[in-house]
Amino acid sequence: MAKVEFRNIAKRFGDVEVIPDMNLMIEDGEFVALLGPSGCGKSTSLLLLAGIYLPTSGELLFDDDLVNNVEARDRNVGIVFQSYALYPHMTARDNIRFPLRFKKLPREEVRRRVSEASDLVQVADLLDRRPSEMSGGQQQRVALARALVKEPQLLLLDEPLSNLDATLRLTMRTEIKSLQEKLGVTTILVTHDQIEATTMADRVICMRAGRIEQVGPPNDLYLRPRSIFVAGFIGSPPINFVKGEASNGSIRAGRVIFGATGEATGAVTVGLRPEHLRFSDEGLPGRVAQLEPMGREILYVVETDCGYIRLLEQSVSASQPIGAKVHVDFAPTDSLVFDSSTEVLITGAQMHPRILPGSN
Amino acid sequence: MAVEAARAQFHAEGRPRADWAKLADRARKLRQLRATTVYIFLIAVSLPIILPYFWLVTVAFSAKLGLAETGVLWRSTLVLVPAAVGLWLAAALSRSRRQMWLGIAAVTIIAAASFAWLVGPDLHLGNFIFLWERDFASVIRSRVGEVRGAVQFPSVWHAFGNSILLAGSQTVIVVSVASLAAYYLSRFQFPGRAAMLRSLLVLHAFPVLTLIIPLFLMLNVMGLLDSLFGVVLVLVAFELPFAIFIMKGFFDAVPWDIEMSALADGASRRQAFVHVVLPQVTNGMLAISVFTFIRGWEEYIFVFTFLIRNTNWTMSLYMFFVRDDIMGVDYGVVAAVGVFYLVPSLLLYVAAQRYLLQMSISGVKG
Repeated sequence: MAKVEFRNIAKRFGDVEVIPDMNLMIEDGEFVALLGPSGCGKSTSLLLLAGIYLPTSGELLFDDDLVNNVEARDRNVGIVFQSYALYPHMTARDNIRFPLRFKKLPREEVRRRVSEASDLVQVADLLDRRPSEMSGGQQQRVALARALVKEPQLLLLDEPLSNLDATLRLTMRTEIKSLQEKLGVTTILVTHDQIEATTMADRVICMRAGRIEQVGPPNDLYLRPRSIFVAGFIGSPPINFVKGEASNGSIRAGRVIFGATGEATGAVTVGLRPEHLRFSDEGLPGRVAQLEPMGREILYVVETDCGYIRLLEQSVSASQPIGAKVHVDFAPTDSLVFDSSTEVLITGAQMHPRILPGSN
Repeated sequence: MAVEAARAQFHAEGRPRADWAKLADRARKLRQLRATTVYIFLIAVSLPIILPYFWLVTVAFSAKLGLAETGVLWRSTLVLVPAAVGLWLAAALSRSRRQMWLGIAAVTIIAAASFAWLVGPDLHLGNFIFLWERDFASVIRSRVGEVRGAVQFPSVWHAFGNSILLAGSQTVIVVSVASLAAYYLSRFQFPGRAAMLRSLLVLHAFPVLTLIIPLFLMLNVMGLLDSLFGVVLVLVAFELPFAIFIMKGFFDAVPWDIEMSALADGASRRQAFVHVVLPQVTNGMLAISVFTFIRGWEEYIFVFTFLIRNTNWTMSLYMFFVRDDIMGVDYGVVAAVGVFYLVPSLLLYVAAQRYLLQMSISGVKG
């Protein structure tokens, strides 16, 4: 178990700067998720932790000890790759045993640890199979067992669920989370799937182009995204953005003028989550252009003067048919007002669904 | 509205209806035509290779007077060609698997019986006398009359051993060096890497014959003339570039992930290579082993030039002298030596076929 710290870590590959300057503290036993689109440097950070890559500059600390130059094999880090990276020529047992092979442990101890690890992820009956004879989910479990068998001080998961089908993904999500709670091992999950990040991790680190955009508990990122990027990345279906011009008590978006409170001036981008919108007699007028039943919910695409707006209705059957004239309403507290130039949230600013006179 | 118009257009009356039956018929005919063409082409291109082998085998097992007698050749053709046609017909005309096997069995039995009747009595092993008679040359000479300037022959098993030694050591060196070099080329960035990869193939493009005199002089200076080891070194140098290129393709196909995983699992770079990466490319190693071995086995021009003593003869030299020096007339023995010479490569090819096929699938893509 270990505490991990990135101090001014930078990583360059030739002329390409993947991580310019990263500072991050991960507490002992914590489960954090590195979230971001592909190419944002999250996998690179993981490989830096594993010791596969060495940082170009900065300090990497495990429990306050500098590990920059410690070799991968001496770091005692368990890692599960997106492809699982099982050794194809070995049976599951040999795969799980592989990390112990270099430790010179007594044979009894090796056997005990292998059977413990395989029991933990329920692959005891698969031990004699080769990776090619296992399903994706089974390979995933074996990879987990292999990462856990060395009793790592740090568990790294690189997109571990993205090759699984939807149902299995749900199961593994729960299992990995409870496994982590049981073992208390410091775990870092890399993912581009915000649902994975928010459901599993205690803390989510949202990254963009090698920089950390926001760090916080999942709820924080959803309710108080610090930037347009975070707001757009977290939430499904994605948030609506309305671009407008703010001036004393109003926000003009195209031909519509909304009421506003707070200290917003100049170009703003207002985020409205589909699940916070509802149909009503008042608010932004529009026409239902398309609707997508999603089971418990229905996603409407409404054509308005501010562009297409997605609206999520908690209902099994649609209340509005395609083509219906509707008004889109929302609570001012649910609106997120960002400064368009800095892309940062303006705290305290709110947009009101009230349409002011002068709109046409 | 535009949408309405597009829809109307899409469902318009009077669009010609497809005649599915006719189209299916045409497709079937085309498929048959294509298959027939492919078969004819394959047979046509393989005949020039198959016929000489056929001659070689028949003469080796039937020639009695040292002449290239053609009687047995024609009679076995008389049996084998109808048998081949019969087998093909049995496979093509049968309507079930059972029928096919019955047809094949019938054709095989008839062919075997007529072969035994027409050709059988003429077959004998007399031409393989060199295998057990150390001084077989005298026996043959007494048959064809006195020949002057005859060569002293070593035992054929000695030449066989030399060939195995030559091809074997060449294979061991090429496979180990090529694997290591290809791994490095596949995994590491270093200045000149791209140039090196390009030059690998260029090296393979030169006709080796142009270098034979400088190589002779070089080996002479190094004191490796008339030694098997010298020839092995030369062959290794010529075989390596292509072997490296093939192996690089195999290493490129091994995902980085498992190597990283091995490093994180406590392996050193070398251990990761040995325990994790190398087992993924065994097929490639087998493939280049087979090719290199056969290349060494069939080697003629370098051994002919660089080896002098008859204790250094390889099978190819042995064959050359059997043909050349004593009995330009005894085709039976020449053919028998030929058959003996080609058996090992044949066995090797058959045994390794599976891996050779792999090479064309996964090897040469990178």
